[in-house]
Amino acid sequence: MDIDDLLAEVAVDAIPQETRDLHELTRCWVAERVSPEILPWPSELVDRVLERIRKQIELVEDQTGNMDPKTSFKLIIIQTELERFKFLVRSFLRARIKKIDTYPLHIKALHNTSLDTPFPLLSPSELQYLTSHQALLSNHYSSSFLSQFPASLQRLDDTAGGISMVDRPDEDKAVFVRALRDVGEIFVEGTDRRFEMKRGDVWVVRWSAVKRWCVGCGTGDVELI
Amino acid sequence: MYGEASNKLVQNAKRTLALPHLPPYASDLTRSITREVRDLDKDVAAVLAPYAGSFNPSEAPETACALLVNHLCMRRNKRCLLAYHRVRSDKLEAYCWEGVDVLEQQQQQGHREEGRRAGGGMGAGGGKEESSLSPEEEEYVRQYSDLLAAYKGQWTDIDLTGSLEPPRDLFIDVRVLKDAGEIQTEYGSITLTKNSQFYVRQGDVERLIAQGYLQRLS
Repeated sequence: MDIDDLLAEVAVDAIPQETRDLHELTRCWVAERVSPEILPWPSELVDRVLERIRKQIELVEDQTGNMDPKTSFKLIIIQTELERFKFLVRSFLRARIKKIDTYPLHIKALHNTSLDTPFPLLSPSELQYLTSHQALLSNHYSSSFLSQFPASLQRLDDTAGGISMVDRPDEDKAVFVRALRDVGEIFVEGTDRRFEMKRGDVWVVRWSAVKRWCVGCGTGDVELI
Repeated sequence: MYGEASNKLVQNAKRTLALPHLPPYASDLTRSITREVRDLDKDVAAVLAPYAGSFNPSEAPETACALLVNHLCMRRNKRCLLAYHRVRSDKLEAYCWEGVDVLEQQQQQGHREEGRRAGGGMGAGGGKEESSLSPEEEEYVRQYSDLLAAYKGQWTDIDLTGSLEPPRDLFIDVRVLKDAGEIQTEYGSITLTKNSQFYVRQGDVERLIAQGYLQRLS
């Protein structure tokens, strides 16, 4: 451990947990909106944030009716902050739901393989939503027309004929990234392109090439912007 | 035959994407495509019957080709049907998220048409379909809004269906477009009468703006 690491540690401790959570949530939110794939569910972070939102709502409810101009001014600030936090969480959840709705079967398969890792892809309630939504859809299809099809054509996850019925996100989509630490050499698969990514660099690169280092699903050396 | 009907259906779906409302469900097309698939399947079975399970494509390439065409058509028809239904169900889901009650709208539309027909003295309109949703779709909407309500219920503090615009001001100016009665806010109750103007907390009136009772003044 050299002096830089020590300094970094002290610096991190100096920032309160609340502020760090806000930064982390903002980062997760941006990452989720930009990345083509769904990222693992940050359960601890969300739990902490929700807990704090709940407390603030209670505080606001307790203190309304207090006519002291000083407290009402404070309340307005708290409520403004509250609205912003709520917006972040809401937009984050909606971005995830949108991906879940677009690639249900693919995400479900990925989630099942991620169950063994410490970071499952979906939260329990998201999984429940996905499963029931999928059940609803297939019910709808089969009552509308699919039940009258020959049995061999009734499946929804067929891969015969060279076309898979399971939609997948485009993992080669270009994303904007900024390196938070030196990453080293990056090799873009399928091309002969190699480049060096240093701290502070901003690149437009294929998602599949930098996924390993991204905030939210990898080492956290690179953030999406 | 051979995918003509499903081509029409896909064009219909494409058009639906750009429309603000949902056009009537193409039940005739859906039925005829399903029939076509069944006929094709029967054809395949008839062609394969004399071979009794020991068909070798390289011995009879012309038969194999016919089978392939039939198979591809069936698959294509299935894909088109799925796409059509998916486009429509996506649209219905979007309505659910926006808080538009599709079923009620459909009913109102139906009543209005009935009223017009009765008023115009046209008599019974020959069993014309009033709702643009198929019965299956109505059922789907009902179940999906239940599902959505259940998922939303786990995030009561957040209000998932709330605005996706980043909040700027806590308080906004609104004008009342339709009488909305009395609402309770943290600062007491306000009576919303038509054409009056208020300076209220955005979170309190967001629903009413979405439903068209209030208009936001910038």
